[in-house]
Amino acid sequence: MKELKQSHFTEAVGNANEINELLRRYGVKFGIYKNGVFNEQFFPFDPIPRVISAEDFKSMEKGLVQRVDALNEFLFDIYHDKKIVRDGIIPEDFIYISKGYLAECEGITPKNKVYSHISGIDLVQAKDGEWYILEDNLRIPSGASYPLIARELTRIAAPQAFEENPIIDNRGYAKLLKETMEDVNCGGARAILTPGRYNAAYFEHSYLAEHTGSVLVQNDELFVEDNILYHRTYSGGKTRIGVLYRRIADEYLDPLTFLPESLIGIPNLMEAYRSGNVGIINAPGNGVADDKGIYYFVPKMIKYYLGEEPILKNAPTYLPFYEDDMKYVMEHLDTLVIKDVAEAGGYGVVFGSDLTKEKLEEFRATIIAEPRRFIAQEVIDFLDLPILENGETVMRKADLRAFVLSGKTTKVWASGLTRFSRNPDSFVVNSSQGGGFKDTWVLSR
Amino acid sequence: MKRVNFSYITKLTFDDYVHDHSFALRIIPPETDTQHVISCSLHISPHVSTQQTTDAFGNNVTAGYLKGDHRFLDFEIKGAADIDHSKHRTDYMPCYLYQSQYTKPDEALTNFYESVKSRCTGTVQDRTEFLCDALSDTMEYEKGLTDTSTTSAQAFALKKGVCQDFSHILISLLRMDGIAARYIAGLAFCDGETHSWVEYWTGDHWEGIDPANNCPVSDDYLVISQGRDFRDCSIDRGVMFGRYTRQLQLVRTVLT
Repeated sequence: MKELKQSHFTEAVGNANEINELLRRYGVKFGIYKNGVFNEQFFPFDPIPRVISAEDFKSMEKGLVQRVDALNEFLFDIYHDKKIVRDGIIPEDFIYISKGYLAECEGITPKNKVYSHISGIDLVQAKDGEWYILEDNLRIPSGASYPLIARELTRIAAPQAFEENPIIDNRGYAKLLKETMEDVNCGGARAILTPGRYNAAYFEHSYLAEHTGSVLVQNDELFVEDNILYHRTYSGGKTRIGVLYRRIADEYLDPLTFLPESLIGIPNLMEAYRSGNVGIINAPGNGVADDKGIYYFVPKMIKYYLGEEPILKNAPTYLPFYEDDMKYVMEHLDTLVIKDVAEAGGYGVVFGSDLTKEKLEEFRATIIAEPRRFIAQEVIDFLDLPILENGETVMRKADLRAFVLSGKTTKVWASGLTRFSRNPDSFVVNSSQGGGFKDTWVLSR
Repeated sequence: MKRVNFSYITKLTFDDYVHDHSFALRIIPPETDTQHVISCSLHISPHVSTQQTTDAFGNNVTAGYLKGDHRFLDFEIKGAADIDHSKHRTDYMPCYLYQSQYTKPDEALTNFYESVKSRCTGTVQDRTEFLCDALSDTMEYEKGLTDTSTTSAQAFALKKGVCQDFSHILISLLRMDGIAARYIAGLAFCDGETHSWVEYWTGDHWEGIDPANNCPVSDDYLVISQGRDFRDCSIDRGVMFGRYTRQLQLVRTVLT
């Protein structure tokens, strides 16, 4: 941070209002549901960038590639031989009770054996500078367009900063994504499937389609004939789709394989996929690897599949499923954070310290009744980041979502989404919980 | 060993034109260790090109897409197979040990299992037969009260149902008892309809049991599809567009 000229931050800060005005105009929003009502919310931007040193990024990059490679090996193993279960590394229950495990995907081998093409790995930096993995998002991680738009705007607001500092250009994301799509293309056009404009991430779907030269489609424009996926063109013809980056959940993908009542799926898409005629990004069934219960086992996976020591650490985690861990959790419940493995987006996260004595006892009973449903973690003392609030700099909790792309090889995008909590007492940074975002500068030296 | 001739006809009729009709049929009997399919012809009308794949559970899937307007879809299989249950199938999947959508027990079904558990002892076969007996003593076979969406918990609450319900409840009980079990859809007895039964894992192979008739499965049972429960075994699944308000399905099966 010291090597960067303070004046550039000031320059950016001075233009904060202008940036937020631009963001409103460009339509950087996300949708949110509350009590059955859909609203579009503005995702607040903070002009003070987060800076990650070249050295820090280098070791983080190695650790992320290692982690995602192990997760891809795990997914292939689970849907084929299940060696990791047979060898007793992961208890069978954790796989087959997981909602993310889809028996329908057994035996399917996606191109290059890649299941998680786009992985959103959430990390936090502790006060001692060490990075910890909080969560692996391997289904349809969103957020990659925010750092792009943030950068476009900070470049306008503080052009000097980019000339004088070794900030890695992050505008290559679309190219990286396009390459990844091409790596698993089974012959045909690229398409991004969106559930439509009422989806929380619709802005991002259209942004990425435009920047990767993919067709942005909804399900009724697609159909499967002779186990090949086609896009219906306006003139009544059809174009073959070779790779589909879908932004809808697994269970809605194909009403003839999964939920029969799904109106946003494509009938027989799974038959086309199983036949190797279309690549699906990310692969259906990935949920088994980003289950919060499976998170505990990722360091063991790295040793098991790669024979390496994990470079990046997990936050210290306990599984009440194991007797020793249950004992620890019961004794330290008031200082731990408890996560419901079935929830996402910052829902189902409870800090023991926030609970009254009564609630704590209630929660204790719930954990004892359903030990498999929860994981418990030590609360990491995050490094606070400065954000601007009403013209003053205040310190807030923040995390980093790193984007890791796997097509032929695994690459880390030298950028990422820094989200912060606007509430000074909160550790929860998710956009759906009212957090904001800022630009992330990865330095090249 | 027994040679059987089989045929199966379904006629789907709509009261108005439909189009963009995608379907997936699980209708062609699989070739397995206990069943050799000598011949099997599939006829679909109106004419449509189809593709064959094998799904995760080992079922033959016939997929098709009828683009233009039509008011019916008929499909028919005819063939012959040699069935030999002195041989064994060994295609195990761990998911068969865990409750699935149709077999998740509710409190009543769990309590029922708890009430008989102490008497459920011996080999896997002993335990399975005991649970099947317990089920037969509790449930009555009656048509028209349940349908294809009825879960084991719902059927158990009625204490009445058809072969599908008997199979689902037995699977629930077996899985509660730690025995892996799967749902089988197939043809048995010439009663004009499809039948369903259960296979349980002995530890090294599958054995068949017919809970609706409380008897072991013989060489008179032709397997059409298998899976965790009925959901994986639907003979036909389809999605179509149009202004139809009703569809009529007629099914006729013959096994000799």
